[in-house]
Amino acid sequence: MRLKRMLAAALGFAMMALPVAAQDFIADIPRNETLIIQGPASQNAEWFNLWAPGGGASNNGLQQLTADTFWWINPEGTGETAWTNALATERPSYNDDFTQMTVKLREGIYWSDGVEFTAEDVVYTVETLIANPGMNWSAPLTVNVESVEAPDRNTVVFTLKAPNSRFHTLFTVRWNAAWIMPKHVFETVEDPLGFANNPPVSLSAYVLHSYDPSGQWVIWRLRDDWQRTSIGMTVEEEPQVKYVVYRNAGNPDARVIEQMNHNLDVINDIAPEGMFTIARQAGANSAYWFDGFPFAHPDPTLPSVLFNHQVEPFDNRDVRWALALLIDIRAVAMGSYRGAANLAAMSTPPTGTAITDYYEPMQQWLTDFELDTGAQTIKPYDPTVADQIAALVRPQWGEDIPEDPEQLKSMFGFGWWKQDIQAATELLQRAGFTKQGNQWMKPDGTPFTIRLMVEGDNIPTLARAGTIIAQTWSMEGIQTQVDVAGPTNGQRLGAGDYEAATYWTVETWGGHPDLSFFLESYHSDFIQEPGAVQPPRNLQRWQNEELDAIIEANRTVAFDDPKVVELGMDYLKLAVEEMPFIPLMAYNKFAPFDTTYWTGYPSAANPYSASGPFWSNTRYMIVELEANANAPQ
Amino acid sequence: MDGFSKYLVRRVFQFFLVVFLGITLAFLITNLSPVDPVEQTVSLMTNFGATDPRAVELMREALRELYGLEGTVLEQYAAFWSRVLRGDFGPSLSSFPTPVMSLITAALPWTIGLLTLSLAFTWTLGNLLGALAGYFRSNLALKLAGAAVMALHPVPAYIIGLVLLLIFGFAWPVLPISGGAQMNLTPGFTWDYIRSILIHGTLPALSLVLVGIGSWFISMRSLVSNIVTDDHVVYAELGGVASRKIFSQYVARNALLPQLTGLALSLGNIFGGAVIIEFLFNYPGMGRLLIQGIYRGDYSLVLGVTTMSIIAVAVAVFIIDLVYPLIDPRVRLG
Repeated sequence: MRLKRMLAAALGFAMMALPVAAQDFIADIPRNETLIIQGPASQNAEWFNLWAPGGGASNNGLQQLTADTFWWINPEGTGETAWTNALATERPSYNDDFTQMTVKLREGIYWSDGVEFTAEDVVYTVETLIANPGMNWSAPLTVNVESVEAPDRNTVVFTLKAPNSRFHTLFTVRWNAAWIMPKHVFETVEDPLGFANNPPVSLSAYVLHSYDPSGQWVIWRLRDDWQRTSIGMTVEEEPQVKYVVYRNAGNPDARVIEQMNHNLDVINDIAPEGMFTIARQAGANSAYWFDGFPFAHPDPTLPSVLFNHQVEPFDNRDVRWALALLIDIRAVAMGSYRGAANLAAMSTPPTGTAITDYYEPMQQWLTDFELDTGAQTIKPYDPTVADQIAALVRPQWGEDIPEDPEQLKSMFGFGWWKQDIQAATELLQRAGFTKQGNQWMKPDGTPFTIRLMVEGDNIPTLARAGTIIAQTWSMEGIQTQVDVAGPTNGQRLGAGDYEAATYWTVETWGGHPDLSFFLESYHSDFIQEPGAVQPPRNLQRWQNEELDAIIEANRTVAFDDPKVVELGMDYLKLAVEEMPFIPLMAYNKFAPFDTTYWTGYPSAANPYSASGPFWSNTRYMIVELEANANAPQ
Repeated sequence: MDGFSKYLVRRVFQFFLVVFLGITLAFLITNLSPVDPVEQTVSLMTNFGATDPRAVELMREALRELYGLEGTVLEQYAAFWSRVLRGDFGPSLSSFPTPVMSLITAALPWTIGLLTLSLAFTWTLGNLLGALAGYFRSNLALKLAGAAVMALHPVPAYIIGLVLLLIFGFAWPVLPISGGAQMNLTPGFTWDYIRSILIHGTLPALSLVLVGIGSWFISMRSLVSNIVTDDHVVYAELGGVASRKIFSQYVARNALLPQLTGLALSLGNIFGGAVIIEFLFNYPGMGRLLIQGIYRGDYSLVLGVTTMSIIAVAVAVFIIDLVYPLIDPRVRLG
């Protein structure tokens, strides 16, 4: 009995002690002035050198809140509003043959230690990076820059080694860009690669407040002189977010719990199931990219089924098209994202400006597109896929799913290819394949099997998509084995050590129609021999003369030239005809916001900023947020 | 040479042999890793940005030189031992140029703290309850406790951790589910900081305790059940010796010897379990460092963490071996 009494007493004590023992979530900082954002863990927390490789976790607020450069593109934006002149006062100015770029700098910008930012900082940055191979942005600057000069305090002139109409993109932020170094700090350092830069001098509106030596969190504070920064000059009133906490919030389940406990205002990504839990249980205190289902924010990246063109039979266009026509995209959307996928039939993500520049104008071309299977000509495009997926998810989400076809397109995509087993059969037969029982045989008489590589748990939605596609192909007579590559995924893709894979090789500016962001690296000049490492991004090693011609033409036109869109369309049509990889969807991220303390987050209806907190563009969100008047005090 | 001296020399020799073989094996395994740190860094540097293929090739060459990845495996092995003997594991490749030793120094105290506390609780509580259950076999509360710990014993630590995370983080949110201490709290020997560490370590430690307690309970109960029927115990009972004295001096002390051996043998396993628990609760220890190193192909870091773990476990086993003769006179007297 005594033992039982002791146990009961211990339990009772624990029940009382635990709540009493609880501490404030953050010590000595007012919660209602603090925005808490999911960040990465940093191994070397003491490091704040953005220019050293691996020198600290750059996306723990360092690049978002302290760094700056000439121009920024909002990946969610369209038209003129997507472009921002930050440290520069105007767009880049090239000479006629694109061998010289002149940049006019903004006046009145100061580093956080009170030193004025001038053209000398830019010249120092470029020269220092070139002089130190291995530093971030050293290699592209070395390849391009012949010399850099500052004729006056506010002008920088770059002379290039060869014509390059896209040189300015090195200094244009989408995720990041070549950040400007504080000359007065780094010039006192012997080895800029070995310099911790702690505390970092900031060129943006926030400065380092404190950090965890274990790398779990970093706290940033609004600068007293926030107006003397390029972002400070874009806002009319003092930003209400005084402190920004980037914290490693653990695994996806923990992130959901932390947000529901109001300890994590901004999530970078969670699984669809976590998103649905937040929407159902904490919907009153949450905001999302879409007001309801599918909630997710589409990144300007394009998950696809990649084929290694240096491995037979994936070098055969008929085989690639046959594999595309075997896929039931509805099953892929339901199985990977539980329906919350933004489908893409074309080889550019259906986000930002691509909607108005490419997807809307090319719908008729897609509908009219004919594919000769050898036995018949078909029109494979199905513009009603969004309606079909809406019908599949409506029983679960009811009134959240609108009837308006235009709204459905923005939620689920414009259309995709019809599953057409007969056409796929005809294409395979034309390629010399035969069917024995339910097994397709290659022209050499061996069974047609595929190893489909997926990364695994790191990107669960793509692993699920790969598994469903593998099942479909297997059912149709092409035995497909899912190959989980884990941390070797990127390396194996680079070395061409795969047959097929679910990953992406297309990323775009999002807020600008120029496709050189990824397309430049698709030129056949850069294709490596099998086994050698392929530079990003043409990991499928697609080689095509027409493609080369498009890329070469794009090099000769200016970034903002209307011909950019025409050339973009030429590429998209070629990619449909050749099907070098099978585009599936935009990379949808489930990134809910907690509105308990802050409101005014970006959304599909008001895409004024990137919403992914690892993107440097998030800074435009942070200075615009408004304190929730009903927040707990 | 007396019995104890012979015992000591044998144990010292074993200690160095285990450390040498363990570290050599770790070196070979990490060098077989298919993950290339240069490619991982190139990937990080080019991710999400425009990529000029000519620049990427230049970047690759520069990093290979910077990381010092030249030389044969044998040359690297020799260089590695010369560095280890100086307590230097070189720079971390994923956090270049921070020395691996600095990263380990920051993470090690967290893991030692978590493991020492949870192991002390697990071992003491498991053995105490097991001994009581073996001695007082008809006690209902101890029977229930036995059933509970046995039910938990086969459950993987991360499942227990996940359940605790849901209970104390979500259903009844009274304990932190992430990190090692409260944010923005200055580290130091202050009550606030110590309390914060204890609160943050509760769930990771509880996960390890709940999973680990079962094996000690079961083995101790079994040992005690055998010892209570031994002649010296029966004789003591018949001689009217107090049952508390019989329990502590005649039964538990004898049953404790194999448990001490078991403790030494289990240290490696416990470290393995702690790696997953640290990852689950975002605990800033060696486990998280190890997993990050593996994912980034940072074999300097992986090797550093593994080497330190091998040395730490070997030292702990060695200390237990040294303590053993104090408890068991047969060892002391040879």
